[in-house]
Amino acid sequence: MAEPAAEKTLLDVVTEADTDKNAKGPELTGEINVPRVEEGRIVKGKLSGAKPHAAKPEIMTALGFPDTLVDNWEEAAVKRLGELLEKYKSLQVYLDICVRCGSCTDKCQFFLGSGDPNNMPVARAELLRRVYKKYFTTEGKLFGKLAGARKLDLKLLGDWYAYFHQCSQCRRCSVFCPYGIDTAEISMAAREIMDSIGLGQKYCDMTIGKLLEIGNNLGMNPKALTNTLESIEEDIEEEDGVPVKLPLDVEGADILLVTPSADFFASPHVESLIGYAKVFHQAGVSWTMSSLASEAGNFGMFVGNYTLMQKAAMRIRNAIEQIKPKRLIVGECGHAWRIAYSFWNTLIGPFDSLDPNYPAPQHICEYTLDLVKRGAIKLNKEANDEFTVTFHDSCNVARASRMGSRPGGQFTIPRELIKASCNKYVEMDPATTMEKTFCCGGGGGLLTDEIMETRIAGAMPRMQTLHAVMESDGVNFMALICAICKAQFTKIMPKYGVPMEVAGGVHQLVGRAIELGAKE
Amino acid sequence: MPQLVCGNERVEVDENGYLANAEEWNENVAQALADQEGVGELKPEQLDVLKFMRSYYQNYRSFPILGSVCRNVHQPSECVNEEFIDPLKAWKIAGLPEPVDEVVSYLKRPV
Repeated sequence: MAEPAAEKTLLDVVTEADTDKNAKGPELTGEINVPRVEEGRIVKGKLSGAKPHAAKPEIMTALGFPDTLVDNWEEAAVKRLGELLEKYKSLQVYLDICVRCGSCTDKCQFFLGSGDPNNMPVARAELLRRVYKKYFTTEGKLFGKLAGARKLDLKLLGDWYAYFHQCSQCRRCSVFCPYGIDTAEISMAAREIMDSIGLGQKYCDMTIGKLLEIGNNLGMNPKALTNTLESIEEDIEEEDGVPVKLPLDVEGADILLVTPSADFFASPHVESLIGYAKVFHQAGVSWTMSSLASEAGNFGMFVGNYTLMQKAAMRIRNAIEQIKPKRLIVGECGHAWRIAYSFWNTLIGPFDSLDPNYPAPQHICEYTLDLVKRGAIKLNKEANDEFTVTFHDSCNVARASRMGSRPGGQFTIPRELIKASCNKYVEMDPATTMEKTFCCGGGGGLLTDEIMETRIAGAMPRMQTLHAVMESDGVNFMALICAICKAQFTKIMPKYGVPMEVAGGVHQLVGRAIELGAKE
Repeated sequence: MPQLVCGNERVEVDENGYLANAEEWNENVAQALADQEGVGELKPEQLDVLKFMRSYYQNYRSFPILGSVCRNVHQPSECVNEEFIDPLKAWKIAGLPEPVDEVVSYLKRPV
């Protein structure tokens, strides 16, 4: 006789997952095949069970959310949607103006990789749009299903939880939308509504909690951070024989570097940190990092919560007030650069105390390239001769920010810096680079292991285009400027039979090429 | 709470198999945890890694970078990955509490 199962809570029902733990990527051919929308050819709802872990009560309450799915969740969700519509007129416009032209359908890496029709951006947005119609539009109220309206029931809420966590908010679909609908904003709204009714995603909410509690996503306290930086300094000196420093909390330093905490901890991320440090060392500038601002990342954006995003960013303002730097530079991190470039000024600005002669904030690639061009540092390209390099544009840098003083600087600056660091550089298929770049498949709060099937699917298009240049040109290094891209690719590449060492940082190349020591 | 049998002793582990009370750790418990993780009989070099992870955690309440673990136990720089294949398993066998998701996401480990 089977034992009686423990009673499931509503939250258990909504977040119950069914995902393939042994998923592998398809064979690499170099081509991105669009799943055919034909009866029988498309696997309906293939990823409907690919749901991330739900946040536990203590994580939720620490962020000010209900500890579990509230009893009146339908009413509460509709109320929160109403508030978001009031606050963000853009959201209402995006929900109103879609004409279902189909331009976006084959543009999302999660659809291309999974063939799940709910991962067509329009279909994903419809999950929310139908609810909007039901409760907020006259035709939806009067004609219900005929007008495409749908009541928010538990099944639909479960689909929200699955599919709004299969969007990395990369905004590739928006590039192809003739109306400019920003589907990322729709995803963010859906996640904010879910958090507000007690349905939170563990990975994002736990990570925000650690940032607010300790100062960075990894939960690395100042004492551990100090020890870690000293350990990396020892590594550099052992390797290069040069005492390159990684200063922390130096008040009055000219430059404050804010970088993702992954740079202190992960591989290959730490190689880029070493690269930045060598650049500052060789430029002879005074610089520091800050234990208050030991995280450039900000998952408040991923969960669509302005208050949390601002709270997280406020640590950087506090660090500026403590350190009193002249310049603010941001390390290699995609979504962090979006927040820094596009939102910091309104979240925590203005930066009146910084030197107005420099961009605030400035991207590390722009800073380093400027030094190279002025001859202030020298790069020896031969040091990277073992590599044939390509560059993956990170979605948030490509489509949600800029770099330098010219339009398109976010594309040209990293490429110029890579080409200054190595002799062999190859572009991937131009239909998949710059503003048309694919997401790595792990952005937007998806970088958690329980949804590996989703992440493998989302990486498919980039893995195919990478494979093409590996075959045609012998590419063996894909340079990245995003902590999430680096972590995603190092874990996903083996699922496609590609060695993880192919993924690395732009400043990893710089760090290998830079000539240290006395200047001529 | 589930219990783990280590010879004549029993210790509590949490729902994901992490030792509930870090103070209950000893080499017997480590071996039982290693068995649970399918790691086999622990070698002296592996025990050195575990002991360093424990002392690091006691001092810093944080997951050490893997390179520093190996330097401190005088082993090659990829020692944790070579000895344990999965550094998260090493952490677990060291009887330390489940790390935050972001640490798991960024650890160099097979998935």
